[in-house]
Amino acid sequence: MRKRSAAAIALAAIVALTATGCSSSPESEAAPTGGTLTIGAALDAASWDPADAEFGNRLQYMQPVYDSLLHIDENLEITPWLASAFTYDDAKTALTLTLRDDVEFSDGEAFDADVAKANLEHFQSGTGQNSITLAAVESVEVTGDYEIVLHLSAPDPALLRNLALVAGMQASPAVLDDESLATTPVGSGPYVLDADQTTTGSQYVYTRNADYWNTDAFPFDEIVIKPLTDLTARLNALKSGEIDATLADAKSMAEAESSGLTAQTMLGDWQGLFIVDRAGEIVPALADARVRQAMQYAIDGAGLLQAVRLGQGEVTTQIFNPSSLAYDPDLDSAYSYDPDKARALLAEAGYADGFTITMPEFAGFTDITTVAYQQLRDIGIDVQTETVAPDQLISALLAGKYAAFPFSWGSSDAWQDILKLVKPDAPWNMLHSSTPELDALISAAQTSGEAADFQAVSAYLVDQAWFAPWYVQNNVYLTGPDVTVAMQPQNVVPYIWNYAPAA
Amino acid sequence: MFFFLVRRVVSGVVLVFAVATITFLLMSLTGGNAARNILGETATEAQVAAKAAELGLDRPILERYLDWLGAALHGDFGTSWFSREPVIESLANRFPVSLSVVTVAVLVTAVLATVLGITAAVRRGWVDRFVQVFAVIGFALPNFWVALILVTIFAVTLHLLPATGYVPITTDPGRWALGLILPVTALVIGTIASTAQQVRGATIDILERDFVRTLRARGISRTSLLFRHVLRNAAGPALTVLSLQFVGLLGGAVIIEKVFALPGIGSLAVNATTQGDLPQILGLVVVMVVLVVVVNLVIDLLTGWLNPKARVS
Repeated sequence: MRKRSAAAIALAAIVALTATGCSSSPESEAAPTGGTLTIGAALDAASWDPADAEFGNRLQYMQPVYDSLLHIDENLEITPWLASAFTYDDAKTALTLTLRDDVEFSDGEAFDADVAKANLEHFQSGTGQNSITLAAVESVEVTGDYEIVLHLSAPDPALLRNLALVAGMQASPAVLDDESLATTPVGSGPYVLDADQTTTGSQYVYTRNADYWNTDAFPFDEIVIKPLTDLTARLNALKSGEIDATLADAKSMAEAESSGLTAQTMLGDWQGLFIVDRAGEIVPALADARVRQAMQYAIDGAGLLQAVRLGQGEVTTQIFNPSSLAYDPDLDSAYSYDPDKARALLAEAGYADGFTITMPEFAGFTDITTVAYQQLRDIGIDVQTETVAPDQLISALLAGKYAAFPFSWGSSDAWQDILKLVKPDAPWNMLHSSTPELDALISAAQTSGEAADFQAVSAYLVDQAWFAPWYVQNNVYLTGPDVTVAMQPQNVVPYIWNYAPAA
Repeated sequence: MFFFLVRRVVSGVVLVFAVATITFLLMSLTGGNAARNILGETATEAQVAAKAAELGLDRPILERYLDWLGAALHGDFGTSWFSREPVIESLANRFPVSLSVVTVAVLVTAVLATVLGITAAVRRGWVDRFVQVFAVIGFALPNFWVALILVTIFAVTLHLLPATGYVPITTDPGRWALGLILPVTALVIGTIASTAQQVRGATIDILERDFVRTLRARGISRTSLLFRHVLRNAAGPALTVLSLQFVGLLGGAVIIEKVFALPGIGSLAVNATTQGDLPQILGLVVVMVVLVVVVNLVIDLLTGWLNPKARVS
């Protein structure tokens, strides 16, 4: 009784303090809300079917209308969302999700376990480019009105993150198997797409979902996304106040800052060589790790970063994102520009006179390949080039036509990158390279999910020079005076919940 | 006239058929792997094969072409492989934007080029020299550069006009007009320059004809001479240039659409071609060819109306 009285007095004191002026301190000021957030997007929207959802730029079109099962913040922390709780079993092959019971789609349909199961199966069986992210899910079991269990064939360290993004997006069951979903989104998200104000290709207008369960998490009354594919147009729109935020590049940073805009950066894509012929099937010399290491020593990554990306980024030797579990800063000093050492390694491997390799030339990379190919030639590697048309590039690369090629990779979650780049069946391990040692390291990382095990994978890849990254470049994001934004690791643009009105 | 029209319409239909067929064959035989481009870089070969089958790419080219042709004859141009939006809908969204810009640009060009050309031809002297210098400068200035200068001054610095975007005329005629001022200005500087030169040349040519001297000798007023006789005769070459510019602007407005972020057919065509979006490309090609045929027909009729000597019996 005495305790209750003390608590009541304390509460009364707090209320009184608040009422008499404590609320004027900055710490207790309520964050501003309302208004319109207008984003300039570098790509136009594509399909609205969650099964076709993409990471990267197009995620921003989907996030206002589709809630995901889990949530991910700017620190990569995974928290409950439509799933109010989530637990793994000890083997990490069964994930139990407890679902909210107060969620309704914008067409009035209710959200429950059957709907979540249908959405996950819709995503998994679809032909969208990210259906691979649910590849480990063997089945989805409904264990209650608001509970499902995902049974996995093996632990998937990236599953929670994927359920917080594209794989966990939930569409209304009424349209899930309807073709209209590709052109008309129906979700349970914080906003609804306003068809009257939206003009495809010009602007997409989202207004608040009146029945949303977590309105406080989204401060803007309205979101407008304008596809502005040209960087100059985006900059002009931002400088003239037509948009509040947009993606830019290193070359536009100085101009933007001199115009009073705020520029923020976040390490994103790495650029370098994919040396995929690790068994020497196309170019026998590449079977020797010393030859691959020589290719790493031969190219001046720091110089390229400075000259081509104006120093916006960091030199790296790793394929993993600096924010990921697998990234080990110590590995970045493993190689440096040293043509003499490169020649010595070639000689040691029996290729003192060099060897011939055919590599592609393609749009958007010629500024880099001009230098990189010349530096490979300088150590005696005879680089022959073939021009590849933009619409044929990915097919040509994935077909395993080239033993090595320069490329830009948007690294994200470490396990996701291993699935895409490293495992023997990974699409970007075109010639299916594998070694027992690496397989064991990957298996250990998959099972434990621990940083040390992932870093061991990275160390192996760096030592064996499976890739020859030169640098990881900064994503540059600009905002005007009315908006603040938290940069998002592992995505080229911030997530929609990272924006807030400026104080 | 009737047979002339029928002949033109028939030749137009043949042209549409021929261009669509050639486009289909070229894209099918030399295009990239659309299924891979849709699914992205991380899809497995099995997923790509499934997508290719879904798009019908595993069927013979002739069979696919006949299917497309049959549907197109019923007004169904299919669905974009990438956006999954019906092609007809995307064209209906995009064409009004490009047509707005190009039509207004051609109208402005027609009026200003006629005024400048005739003034130069009639006045000669310093006015003529001014028009000629303007024509050379206007023709030499790249329209994207003009566009960037205009945006910097009128949108970014003075905030008088929008820097980007398009508002449909049905939504807000005022904002539609404001949004067109900068793109149209950037486009017309070059077209006015070249058309004014044509009008000037044609007018000088007509003014030196014997019948003009005869009309002058008969005491016909200067205004009547100019507008009823000279301009009518000089209109032919100018209209031909205008029709060519209309078609050229439709295809060439890509850069202007990019600078001003106008969602017209330029950006649609570039994206569809880069991605290998066959249904979208075919829909665009068919509509563009139809438009070219119609514009040429209208110009022929206009020329005939203005100048009886050009009429086809």
